[in-house]
Amino acid sequence: MSDTPAPSGDSQDPEELQFHYTSSDAPRPEQETENAHAKDTTRVPDVIEALRKAFGASVLEVERYANEDTVYVEKERIREICRFLKNELDFEYFADLGGIDNFKDEDRYEVFYNIVSMERQKRIRLKVRVDEEDMRVPSVTKIYRAANWNEREAYDMFGFEFVDHPDPRRMYMPEDFEYHPLRKEFPQLGVPGSLPLPPQTPDGELTMDPFAAARGSEPVKSYEEPPVEQDDD
Amino acid sequence: MAEKPQFPGHDLGDQFRFWPKHNEAIYERLESKHTWVEEQQRAAGGDGELPLTEAEDDPLENEMILNMGPQHPATHGVLRCVLKIDGETVEKAVLDIGYLHRGIEKLAEHKTYQEFMPYTDRMDYLSPYSNNVAWCLAVEKLADIEVPDRAQWIRMIMSELARISSHCLWLGTGAMDAGAMSVFLWTFQEREEIYAIMDEVAGARFTVSHSRIGGVASDLSPRSIEMIRDFVASFPEKVDGWEYLLNRNRIWMERLKDVGRITKEEAIDRGLTGPSLRGSGVPYDIRRFEPYLKYDEVDFTIPVREEGDSLARYYLRLEEMRQSIRIIEQCLDRMTEGPIRADDAKEAYPSKEEVYYSMEGMIHDFMYTDVGTVPPKGAHSYHAIESPKGELGFYLTSDGTGRPWRVRINAPSFSNLQGLEYLLEGDLVSDAVINISSMDPVMGESDK
Repeated sequence: MSDTPAPSGDSQDPEELQFHYTSSDAPRPEQETENAHAKDTTRVPDVIEALRKAFGASVLEVERYANEDTVYVEKERIREICRFLKNELDFEYFADLGGIDNFKDEDRYEVFYNIVSMERQKRIRLKVRVDEEDMRVPSVTKIYRAANWNEREAYDMFGFEFVDHPDPRRMYMPEDFEYHPLRKEFPQLGVPGSLPLPPQTPDGELTMDPFAAARGSEPVKSYEEPPVEQDDD
Repeated sequence: MAEKPQFPGHDLGDQFRFWPKHNEAIYERLESKHTWVEEQQRAAGGDGELPLTEAEDDPLENEMILNMGPQHPATHGVLRCVLKIDGETVEKAVLDIGYLHRGIEKLAEHKTYQEFMPYTDRMDYLSPYSNNVAWCLAVEKLADIEVPDRAQWIRMIMSELARISSHCLWLGTGAMDAGAMSVFLWTFQEREEIYAIMDEVAGARFTVSHSRIGGVASDLSPRSIEMIRDFVASFPEKVDGWEYLLNRNRIWMERLKDVGRITKEEAIDRGLTGPSLRGSGVPYDIRRFEPYLKYDEVDFTIPVREEGDSLARYYLRLEEMRQSIRIIEQCLDRMTEGPIRADDAKEAYPSKEEVYYSMEGMIHDFMYTDVGTVPPKGAHSYHAIESPKGELGFYLTSDGTGRPWRVRINAPSFSNLQGLEYLLEGDLVSDAVINISSMDPVMGESDK
């Protein structure tokens, strides 16, 4: 995560060597209209209006970037809001669900819901904030059955506990695995020993760390090396 | 009740065994799952109780749990289906995926946007070009990069070729699953020609990585345009030939008809996407729903069938290939001359001439490799394309550095496999392979 690489050399003034690639802090306002890839389908002011009318303060805030509306809603009411969207506003197709780890103290995680209305030709994104202390999120599988696997995946990857989920198993990782890999603190090369793999040789040991070489220790070889003969003369 | 089977590996002592808790969870799920097959049996019984199954009636026990895959030639990769079957009928199905899980969402967080491109090739490995385009468009939307016209036409041509190539493979392997060998050879002949075009255009036959953020890597050479024109001219005849061969084949028609039928409402509810959804009468195609590239400027139709069975999906994919040819023809005619990449060092790579002959070009190339595109902090956007399998979308979140903070991949095969679990139930076990192939899953994509 280094947008401005640390300047090298001790005597140099750090100000002098700054790269020109500095990130701007906020989306520029004119981007909303100028983005060449922006679509009409993602602007839903009337839907947001209807949601505000029906749920009042439970609709926390609305964000817009690249012509896409994101509606932050209260976690506890997500199920009612989804039911309202499906039954009253024709958002019948559930496209996607997933988690985001923002790695901060308060409201660390987010869950987003990407729901489509074919009749209106609109797409809406709902987001709920989830605190680290309370990982429970009401499951929406009763309303959108397509959310089943997506919620399992979000549980697998982030550890959300989807309340009333009919099938709370992991999606990708085996049940014997203890970690949630898409959390930011999970190392990219995995945790050694968390998933024993088959031995590399017929009567070898289990492979505890497939990336041993990357960590600087001796990797397990998949073949027997011939003994090196020493010349004594 | 069927006995819980002993897993191979349980008696191996300290040696490796396949993660035992995982298997137990699958069998528990198989027990606790309630399917419509069961409900129907309850309703038929009248008293709300499950009627005696054949297994309880019959001294020869007919009920068993069948484990298909993950290593099985008909599951199109490493899909594992655990089926509870009563005689020939599948009562309950539990799919287990993740055998090809490489964690590319995690890997993407450690790469620059351009560096991630080769990974997208390996998602839906039957049509790599579509994935490249999907990724580029998502990043371009996030970072607000405008793509020159010519690059957009090239991307369209190549993604439609990728669609044809993917559907060719689906048809060949699908026919092979139904027991017909020769179709596979016919369709792979055509796939081979598309490989040759990809080779000429991108320099690689299979994992092309030809699209670039802000444009494409290289312009189409006169030779490649000639090859595409030849292909477009000859291909419709080939499709007609396959149709002539298959539509009059009673085995093929009867294997597919009424197998894996799903209604319109169920298809939407189960979140099917792509040809599987359109085969049930839902005209949902991202090329129409939210047109990207130049799809709103070309003339083509979205084929839709109402029947919702495997046969409908077969007709539909054949028709989609013809429509792709129509799109490519129009693209070739309307393609304009011009630059193929955005002319901004912060948005796209400079051309090779610039890199070799100017100092600035070399610095820009280095900087773009090192840092790359930098979308604004806190920006997040979703962009989807209609890949051969359905809606392929990337939801990106930026933290204002050259690497994405979070990449979410909405993979069409993942959604379709979820629906497949429902399709398998109530069908014959011998139709399971037909169901799987008519859904056309690619495990590289669904397992991420």
